[in-house]
Amino acid sequence: MRQFTYTTADDLAGALGQAGADTAYLAGGTTLVDLMKLGVLAPGRVVDINALPLRGCASDGSALVIGALERMSEVARHPAVRAGYPLVSQALLAGASPQLRNMATIGGNLLQRPRCGYYRDISTACNRRTPDTGCSAGGGENRNHAILGTGGRCVATHPSDLAVALVAVDATIRLYGRDGAREMPLADFYRLPGDTPDIETELRPGELVTAVALPKLPWVRRSTYVKVQDRAAHTFALASAAVAVELGRTGAIRQARVAVGGVATTPWRLPAVEEALRGCRLIREEVEPAAALAVAGARPLRHNGFKVTLLPRTIVRALLSLAEGVEP
Amino acid sequence: MNRVDGRQKVTGAAEYGADHDPDRLAHGYLLLSTIAHGTISAMDTASARRADGVLAVYTPFEPLTLHPDPSGLSMTGQNWVPLADTQVRYRGQVIGLVVAETFEQARAAAIRVATRYDALPVAASLEAGIPGATAAPPLFGEAAVLDRLADGVASIDDALAGSDVTVSAGYSQPIKHHAALEPHSTVAAWSGDRLTVHGGTQSPTGHAQSIATSLGVDVSAVHVISPHIGGGFGGKAMTWAYAAVTAAAARDLGRPVKTVLTREQTFTIVGHRSAVRQTVALGASRDGTLTAMRHVGHAGMSTSGGIPEFSAGLFTRVLYPTPNLHAEQLVVTMDVPPCTIMRAPGEESGSFAVECALDELAEKLGMDPIDLRSRNYATVNPASQLPWSGKHLDECYRVGAARFGWSRRPRRPGTVHRGEWSVGMGMASTLLGANRFPAQVRIRLRADGAADVDCATADLGTGMWTMMTMTGAETLGIPVRRIRPRLGDSTLPFSLGVFGSSGTASVTSAVVTAAGAVTTALIEHAVTHERSPLRGLDPAEVTYREGALVYDGGRIGFGELLTVTGTDGVEATGADQGGDPATHAFHSFGAHFCEVRVNRFTGEPRLTRITTVVDAGRIINPKTARSQVIGGVTMGIGHALTEGARLEARSGRIANANLADYLIPVNADVPPVDVHFLQYPDTVFHPLGARGIGEVGTVGIAAAIANAVYNATGIRVRDLPITVDKLLG
Repeated sequence: MRQFTYTTADDLAGALGQAGADTAYLAGGTTLVDLMKLGVLAPGRVVDINALPLRGCASDGSALVIGALERMSEVARHPAVRAGYPLVSQALLAGASPQLRNMATIGGNLLQRPRCGYYRDISTACNRRTPDTGCSAGGGENRNHAILGTGGRCVATHPSDLAVALVAVDATIRLYGRDGAREMPLADFYRLPGDTPDIETELRPGELVTAVALPKLPWVRRSTYVKVQDRAAHTFALASAAVAVELGRTGAIRQARVAVGGVATTPWRLPAVEEALRGCRLIREEVEPAAALAVAGARPLRHNGFKVTLLPRTIVRALLSLAEGVEP
Repeated sequence: MNRVDGRQKVTGAAEYGADHDPDRLAHGYLLLSTIAHGTISAMDTASARRADGVLAVYTPFEPLTLHPDPSGLSMTGQNWVPLADTQVRYRGQVIGLVVAETFEQARAAAIRVATRYDALPVAASLEAGIPGATAAPPLFGEAAVLDRLADGVASIDDALAGSDVTVSAGYSQPIKHHAALEPHSTVAAWSGDRLTVHGGTQSPTGHAQSIATSLGVDVSAVHVISPHIGGGFGGKAMTWAYAAVTAAAARDLGRPVKTVLTREQTFTIVGHRSAVRQTVALGASRDGTLTAMRHVGHAGMSTSGGIPEFSAGLFTRVLYPTPNLHAEQLVVTMDVPPCTIMRAPGEESGSFAVECALDELAEKLGMDPIDLRSRNYATVNPASQLPWSGKHLDECYRVGAARFGWSRRPRRPGTVHRGEWSVGMGMASTLLGANRFPAQVRIRLRADGAADVDCATADLGTGMWTMMTMTGAETLGIPVRRIRPRLGDSTLPFSLGVFGSSGTASVTSAVVTAAGAVTTALIEHAVTHERSPLRGLDPAEVTYREGALVYDGGRIGFGELLTVTGTDGVEATGADQGGDPATHAFHSFGAHFCEVRVNRFTGEPRLTRITTVVDAGRIINPKTARSQVIGGVTMGIGHALTEGARLEARSGRIANANLADYLIPVNADVPPVDVHFLQYPDTVFHPLGARGIGEVGTVGIAAAIANAVYNATGIRVRDLPITVDKLLG
């Protein structure tokens, strides 16, 4: 770890004033400090933003707004989240460990860096860590890597469970920078790796995440997050699915939201699957053909071909779990 | 009984090796190779030397003085001397040490060292190396090859070909790591020409000997202190490169130096359990009687030395009788980090292959797996033809089946479902050699009525502090609160250390001898000391009972006697020489039963319950014993479902060398475990009737789980770990 200067900021202007090319913001620290220890990130200045007024979880009329510095554990147990957005609460609880969730913030969670072992090992080549050095994962160990959104110079999956659930409900992300405040759909915030995998988001230099806003969608109460992992807890997804359905009176799907994790370079929304689910009843025979569309265009690597089978099944499992209380 | 060190541990008061910060302490950070094979051509350390706080940078070009061990007697884990040459034997090898005022400074400087290599091709694929495999070195008295053929049978292949029913399959598993919670560490402080080392070790005496040999000093100059260990599992049995390097740097700098391995570093500096490929072929008659067995194991071995996993060993050779047996262990030597012993070395992997093969045979014969094992029940050790000192494995099957509800096992695989889960049951046997290794215990009876019980053994977290307290109290006939145990110090009476499930048996047998010796010494003191009220009595007229000497007309507690005589204490040392009488075979036995569910959509295998019945003689402390068996079973769950290094064949790099990617089971992976001990004291083996339990929980559980997964799904997974991708069908 490089020697660095540690400062604090009490408000947005103070934080922005201290930002520079060699600066990193510190919130929960569960990603930043970890990567600094590994030598992957080496900021000369760390600005602690925990005192910024970016807290709270409250309705502002059309959306539920969650402050960027809210801790994962707080949001997961918030009544409005648990009742109104079960998939978000479940995604938060499926991530990390209780100790990490007590530290990690919502903003930091959305800005997590990849868990690719090559990205985290400075003795190996990695285009995302050091542009144009090559990708070790393509010809290396890639069981946990992406099958969707690849084709560029990086095949690492996006590690966040939360982001998958938020993308499914059309959440927006609120940012604040030198040009003032702006807001954009979270799905648009993430960039495909392409030729510049080191640029992961639309975040501008010095810009801060201030909040995420979850649009009011009463039918999202019928939603879930299913995460398939190699042990029962405390690991990253092999495949995950955030799904929500609105059912008509006959039990057929009026509209659906499906986003997936553990399989793609960004939190991955599946509009084709959503479209195909329209009119299906929540029975295996009807949802399976729709879920199969999830892997159209998938590009499996040497060790992760099983995800092509696993992903549609994860979506089916999630959908069928929502059938509870539905009259056959 | 509760752990006597429990309160210390849960309050954080227990001091582990790295908790020690002597005055003027400097911090070491190890430099590791980033190629797997070749030589180091240059290391540019100038920038690191200029970094803040840096005191020294040691490399093969600016080395420390370290010595090889030509005798092979010290317990060094490898065959090379750190920093003595520029050869790179595996990726992650120690190639230098940066010492600085703080840990952070040392780490920051380490990144600045630029190393250039002349790289050579890397051999790191076990599969690719199998054609060039060589016979394994003998391990624990087992030769690489054991052939036993019935009269008139020309070969094992003929015996298999002549069997009514045969099964044959290959089984494999990746490299596995001990992953102890406490990372390895050394705090080395010199005082003149004497060295004190704090650091977790399973063998304080062996650690002292290894470090002394490496430094070229007499063992009497090295004092190792290791009262508490945060898990070892074999990974702290040997002395690895960091310890001697740190001690030599401390000597060179004239300051204490502390080196704590990062989690990533433990994966390569410390040995691992070899990757293993095995093939097992079984032949049987239609009634299930085994007629032939062929077990060939291939284990990964490191060019840097170590102890390879010996799969085709004890488990294959001892558990089931068969007139025709071929057991053969080979090794494939590669450019990989060192291999070493890990909980149940040999039996862990061997039992997986054999107990799965038996399940496959039972399926083919249409027999219940327990009936098949009972049909092939050995009453004498098939290898030595000796009777067992105690064997109640049949009762383990019977009791375990009843407690678990084995009769409800689905008859046909893949037929029972609960919601979105398929459910199945499996079982397997477990077996482990009962060992005693040399140990001495000194008991000192004190004037304050307490008794010191001293031994240079170790407590891995398994309960040795408590065990010495309980058996000291039992043999002296006094309450446990009057026992003061001491351990984890190389200057205490000799112990080889704790491994091979031998700790309890070795140390407590020496406690029994020491208790007898010290009461004899006490009586001698009583009848000879001038101020003793017993002076002049015939020793034969005095007996020791429950902390007191009883004689005609009187009774006096040893504390009172020593107070009267003005003596601080009376002491004696007892020893267990280790080794076993040649009259019997000595093993612990058991049976595992488990229920698994496998998700019908996404394939996750999850355990719902386990029953483990153990026949290990008398269980001295059921509370810690139960914990230890659950710990063993948990390690077996990792073996079956989650653990394995992902070794890159091209680079020799371990791709998941951290605890986020190398998956040890978490609490949510461990179901309720019903542990039951049969409790038949084995006094042929041990004066208190105890055999070891440290490893018996780990052996066989992976097979029980694999067999249950088959029962649940109809999918037979022979390549561990059993992960989602293998169960998608």
